[in-house]
Amino acid sequence: MKWKRRLSWVGTGLFTILGIAYIAPILIVLMNSFKKKVYINKEPFTMPAGKTYAGWDNYLAAINKYQLLSAVGWTVFITIGSVLVILICTSMCAWYITRVQTKFTKTLYFLCVFSMVVPFQMVMFTLSLIADRTGLNTPWGIIIIYLGFGAGLAVFMFCGFVKGIPIEIEEAAMIDGCTPVRTFFNVVLPIMKPTYISVGILETMWIWNDFLLPYLVLDLNKYKTISIIIQYMKGSYGRVDMGAIMAALIMAVIPVIIFYLCCQKHIIKGVAAGAVKG
Amino acid sequence: MKRYMPLFVLPTLCAFILGFILPFIMGVGLSFCKFTTVTDAKFVGFSNYIKALQDTVFRHSFWYTALFTVVSLLVINVIAFALAMALTQKMRGTNIFRTIFFMPNLIGGIVLGYIWQLIFNGILAKYSTALALNEWYGFWGLIILVSWQQIGYMMIIYIAGLQAIPGDVLEAAQIDGATGWQRLWKVTVPMMMPSITICSFLSVTNGFKLFDQNLSLTAGEPGKMSEMMALNIYNTFYGRTGWEGVGQAKAVLFFILVVIIGVLQLRATRSKEVQQ
Amino acid sequence: MKKKKVMPVLLAAAMTVGMFAGCGSNDAGTAGGSTQGAQGTQAADKSSGDGSVYYLNFKPEADEQWQILASEYTKETGVPVTVLTAASGEYEKTLKSEMAKTDAPTLFQVNGPVGLASWKDYCYDLSGADVTGQLTSEDFALKDGDQTLGIGYVIESYGIIYNKALLEKAGYTAADITNFASLKKVAEDITARKDELGFSAFTSAGMDGSSDWRFKTHLANLPIYYEYKADGIDNTDAIKGTYLDNYRQIWDLYINNATCDPKLLSTKTGDDAVAEFATEEAVFYQNGTWAYNDVKDLGDDNLGLLPIYIGVDGEENQGICTGTENYWCVNKNAAPEDIQATLDFMNWCVTSETGVNAMCKDMGFVIPFKSNLDSENVLVNAANDYLDAGKTPVTWNFTTMPSEEWKNGVGSALTAYAADQSDANWDAVKKAFVEGWATEAAAAK
Repeated sequence: MKWKRRLSWVGTGLFTILGIAYIAPILIVLMNSFKKKVYINKEPFTMPAGKTYAGWDNYLAAINKYQLLSAVGWTVFITIGSVLVILICTSMCAWYITRVQTKFTKTLYFLCVFSMVVPFQMVMFTLSLIADRTGLNTPWGIIIIYLGFGAGLAVFMFCGFVKGIPIEIEEAAMIDGCTPVRTFFNVVLPIMKPTYISVGILETMWIWNDFLLPYLVLDLNKYKTISIIIQYMKGSYGRVDMGAIMAALIMAVIPVIIFYLCCQKHIIKGVAAGAVKG
Repeated sequence: MKRYMPLFVLPTLCAFILGFILPFIMGVGLSFCKFTTVTDAKFVGFSNYIKALQDTVFRHSFWYTALFTVVSLLVINVIAFALAMALTQKMRGTNIFRTIFFMPNLIGGIVLGYIWQLIFNGILAKYSTALALNEWYGFWGLIILVSWQQIGYMMIIYIAGLQAIPGDVLEAAQIDGATGWQRLWKVTVPMMMPSITICSFLSVTNGFKLFDQNLSLTAGEPGKMSEMMALNIYNTFYGRTGWEGVGQAKAVLFFILVVIIGVLQLRATRSKEVQQ
Repeated sequence: MKKKKVMPVLLAAAMTVGMFAGCGSNDAGTAGGSTQGAQGTQAADKSSGDGSVYYLNFKPEADEQWQILASEYTKETGVPVTVLTAASGEYEKTLKSEMAKTDAPTLFQVNGPVGLASWKDYCYDLSGADVTGQLTSEDFALKDGDQTLGIGYVIESYGIIYNKALLEKAGYTAADITNFASLKKVAEDITARKDELGFSAFTSAGMDGSSDWRFKTHLANLPIYYEYKADGIDNTDAIKGTYLDNYRQIWDLYINNATCDPKLLSTKTGDDAVAEFATEEAVFYQNGTWAYNDVKDLGDDNLGLLPIYIGVDGEENQGICTGTENYWCVNKNAAPEDIQATLDFMNWCVTSETGVNAMCKDMGFVIPFKSNLDSENVLVNAANDYLDAGKTPVTWNFTTMPSEEWKNGVGSALTAYAADQSDANWDAVKKAFVEGWATEAAAAK
């Protein structure tokens, strides 16, 4: 028994080292975000000190010169809005098309599965064109675009779950006089809670980090997301402000890490559950 | 119930038509046209497809992407599986380690690319070279990057799979005198086939569709040699005037390829799954 | 019971409408299709009324000044002006995606005849417009047949900017440099005494996207210029590469006498070069008049501009590279009132005091319009001195480079060559230059 315990300690030690190595890239960027911009490319692995130390300058540059805060705001808005809309609309849709089997619903289900494999490049130009012509090139409008382009995966996952719910519960509710709407919200929705979390997490990760779709769809004169700003900083204005980029990278990562640490149990469970269902 | 169809289905359906079906159909149509901004589209038949297939850079990007997908599939899944095995043992701090390994998965492709670009160039500079000088630096850079990103995710799926294996099966095998290695290959892996199917399906599609990371880490340097298919399509479409139709035709070819690979791969692994 | 049937339909309708509400507001002034009859017929002096201007700006370094100028114009006239600046090297991509939109740019830029070829179906005929009448010379109009589709709005010059004090510290003056041989001698001498002097000859020739255009486009202009001159042409579908050995000479000189190891150039940015020049780590910095704002802290008396010598016979008489790759074009598919508003805005920029001041002073441009002011930009004046001294300016022939694709090909080959200066790698540059030109010129047809 004793050697087993010792082995477990060796494992813990080994994994601690591995874990630190694993988050090192983020720490290196954090370190560089406090370094003056000309030293970042030259000496990326040294601690900022003395003349290379820049204080909060890089953060201020990222915020003032590149409007990073408004980008963070829009990204949060688009992510939360889209995920909520996707969850509500697609779960209702999925419940309906599993419970009512017609040619129409079967076709729709097939199309949703089909859309999951279509690469975005296939529709990038036409989608941005449609978004523009219908006036959906705003953070409000892009929610609809996300609902449309993200519907496939969400509907597919919800359908998988709904199939596993015994229909008797719903029938009992209907017999008690519930309309389908009430049945859905009072009976089905609570049962599906784990799936909501799984789908919600997948969609959040996708939308928060997405680059090309918002880049092509949004009216860039008015709205930019974090990914867009970072890509802009790298190419824009004839020069590359490495300091501001480092600061922007950190500011893009921090909300995610906080969110993750707050609800990591749900996230990890959600991913596991979602994968098994899928 | 049917009269509730509009309420339940219509919002999603409208958005789906607008956000997927219409663009998809238009996309297929435009691949047969020459155009700059759609209002001036002219039908040109298959000439876009011919140009796309003649494009040596596009063909290179196909092999590069295919190789990348195979290598990343192996690297990610082997490591993720090993980590999952280790982290389901009795050991202090497994939860913290799971948390850490999963974290990079939440970071976006553009951000990841620039984080690693700094690190790789910092290291390569010590050897007087850089990412943009050799397509294979870019290749392995991307492998490391996506491994870092996706191992945690796959690991979680494998852990869920491992925990679902009933303990008595392994015990029975042990009583029958199976060695650790035999238990792994004869019991654990076959029981894990559903998880392996999912993970390999995910890594193959992720690998083929990789775009953000490619754009930010190497942007195709040197000379488009590290350009993967998705980036090649984007650059053809937006970067070359007069080539929009060709870009769209490439996208259609790309789409067909992804479908074929997805179907083949699901078939291959599904057939190995244990019927439960 | 009937009520119940209607309910879900209503609800659904409400949801759908709610989703789309607030999104479909900008249908006014739809772009689709060509605006019939607007061609050539000037809408007289009709006040622009409810039109608006959307300018897709090419010059990142002037972004801030354009934003200010736009808001001043709006303050003065009430006409809304939006300015979007494309990231450097991304203009074509941005232009393409923006032009496909409903609210497409009303004012955009092409870089010369090659750029015009792909966008001419979108260009409004500017002949007879007020702003065209302000041009000092017909040469600055970009024509297609008898139509004026673009007008140059800024004349720029580039060469090798140098730091006078440092050059003197090394024991030389600009007068010592009159051709490639003498430039090479000075640069190599500085390199030899680098540690003693504490600075290098050249700033890093960064090949990052923010800087590589200085070499794959601007420096590549010189061999093209001399070839055109020797052959007596001003455009070609098949470049011969007669002067590529000279191109190699100057590139070798740049990269081997710089602040950094040539192997590291692929990651060096435009900012790095500016920083090196501004902190007096290097004497020479190849760039143009537009870079004045970046380097003016060194002091006006301290800055000079040298021609780029590449070792061609008779180059003692060569001047600075002067020309334009910035042509304004008006989107002919825009709504008539927007076209009018755009024309008014352009005219205001080059005639009103505010506009001219902003362009000539704040942006430091030399504008080819009658109202041009004497420049406060030392680099501009230095370029003019060469003209006054009777030197022949080098024209900007890079506007005839067949495509962005070609430039990128040459750029990548140059980067690879810098890392490993072998003949094989130079052959790759030659191949990208000569064969790439032929392929791209054919593809553009």
